[in-house]
Amino acid sequence: MIANLDKQIEQLKRCETISEAEVKQLCLQAREILVEEGNVQYVDSPVTICGDIHGQFWDLMELFSVGGMCPETNYLFMGDFVDRGFFSVETFLLLLAFKVRYPDRITLIRGNHESRQITQVYGFYDECHRKYGSSTVWLQIFKLLTKYAQLIGNKKYLMMVLCVIFFGLIRMRYKAGVYRRRGAGFLFGGDAVRSFARMNDIELLARAHQLAMEGYKHMFDNLIVTVWSAPNYCYRCGNVASILELDENLRQEYKVFVHAPSDARSIPAKRAPPEYFL
Amino acid sequence: MSSSESKYRPPTKEILSKEQLEQFQASETHAAIIAYIQRLNESVVGVRLTDPCDESEAVKAIIGVLDSVAHLATETPPVDNAGSRFGNPAFRDFYDKVKASSKELHSRIAGIPEDSVQEISLYFEESWGNRTRIDYGSGMELNFLCWLYCLERLGVLRPEDDRAVVVRIFWRYIGVMRVLQSTYWLEPAGSHGVWGLDDYHFLPFLFGSAQLRGHRHLRPKSIHDNEILEEFSKDYMYLACIQFINSIKTAHGTKSTRV
Repeated sequence: MIANLDKQIEQLKRCETISEAEVKQLCLQAREILVEEGNVQYVDSPVTICGDIHGQFWDLMELFSVGGMCPETNYLFMGDFVDRGFFSVETFLLLLAFKVRYPDRITLIRGNHESRQITQVYGFYDECHRKYGSSTVWLQIFKLLTKYAQLIGNKKYLMMVLCVIFFGLIRMRYKAGVYRRRGAGFLFGGDAVRSFARMNDIELLARAHQLAMEGYKHMFDNLIVTVWSAPNYCYRCGNVASILELDENLRQEYKVFVHAPSDARSIPAKRAPPEYFL
Repeated sequence: MSSSESKYRPPTKEILSKEQLEQFQASETHAAIIAYIQRLNESVVGVRLTDPCDESEAVKAIIGVLDSVAHLATETPPVDNAGSRFGNPAFRDFYDKVKASSKELHSRIAGIPEDSVQEISLYFEESWGNRTRIDYGSGMELNFLCWLYCLERLGVLRPEDDRAVVVRIFWRYIGVMRVLQSTYWLEPAGSHGVWGLDDYHFLPFLFGSAQLRGHRHLRPKSIHDNEILEEFSKDYMYLACIQFINSIKTAHGTKSTRV
């Protein structure tokens, strides 16, 4: 079984998809591991914290070349693995395979894009259809993620807390409190952040979800850092990306990297377009 | 007339939950907006941007308003943004200037009841980007469409104006938005990445496809031909948009999309 997993990992590292049956098996194995994890997961340092990937597979490979490959490096990914990029399938499956193979060397947090609704709009669903000819793989993955969410104790509250911490938009100009900006989102100001950190004895809140041109961005006297790991986002933003390395003593080092060189492999060969584009 | 007496009132955000969204989607207003878009769409089938098009006084006045908005951007250059190139803070000043000028700009369009401005101006003010996030997405484009729809409901714009609304007013709006997006580095809000063509806009592709409907030679795959883009982008919104994307996307332009 491990030999199989290693074979799949090598395949995925070449950005080659695994079969539908292998995806199903991987999801079942991942479920068994995630069942054992707590709703608040303790992660040992040293650890390298990464932000949004959004299907930018070759940029994820750049990330690994800068930060070290799993399992040599202990990783924590803050979600948003899928949507927008070309390779959400390979990206997510590689990270999942790493999780199954080396469960103590990688932690995966669910981002707001790891959702049925969002992925039906922003590309992951379409990509699954393109690569597998049906929505089976997509469904398998969401069965896994939904089950995972259900297993997290007092679900709604804690998922909301996680959402609040990891998805909340933060704006420098808001001094106090929590603002409802959009239907599904909240905006937090400095006072809310400081108060939360004080109450929970927190030194640093790392989060993702917002584009940071220089790869990372500190706010509120370095109490919060946004780590963004998708370089040249949408092929136009021209941003760099970063990872945050915490050593044994929790000293912070930010490593910045640019997008993978644009070559033939970074743009997938076009398949036959849907009929209406003929 | 105070707002408590007026039948007009400033809009407030009401769609906050899934249930409310579904309610909206089943509403008459939703149906009416879709119908308006469809009507505008049909009005430009086979119509080129370069074809002659009558412009009523209302259309001319609205284009004048858009020119003024563009001018406000020229007067509000980006500031040095060492913190982060994306999302230039000068956009907030621009936004505030538009808001402050809103009443005066509306007064240039004949036929708008004065007390309706408190209601319709919000759609106009929200057409340029989000002040807090300094981003822009298709929701803002929809705000602009809603503003036009309000003008239609008020009788300022009429069905005879439909063609001009698309190829003159709306296309001018896109031109202004391109300037704002590049000047202030507006972040794409809700982009579909490689699963969509454009990070910001949707309607120019819809109206653009109507323009091309029935064209004898041009087909969707023509978007990959640079010579065709060069030749026909002045006539057709869709091709102009593709050409614009090619000019700003790094790597491979339209090759870097799954569409």
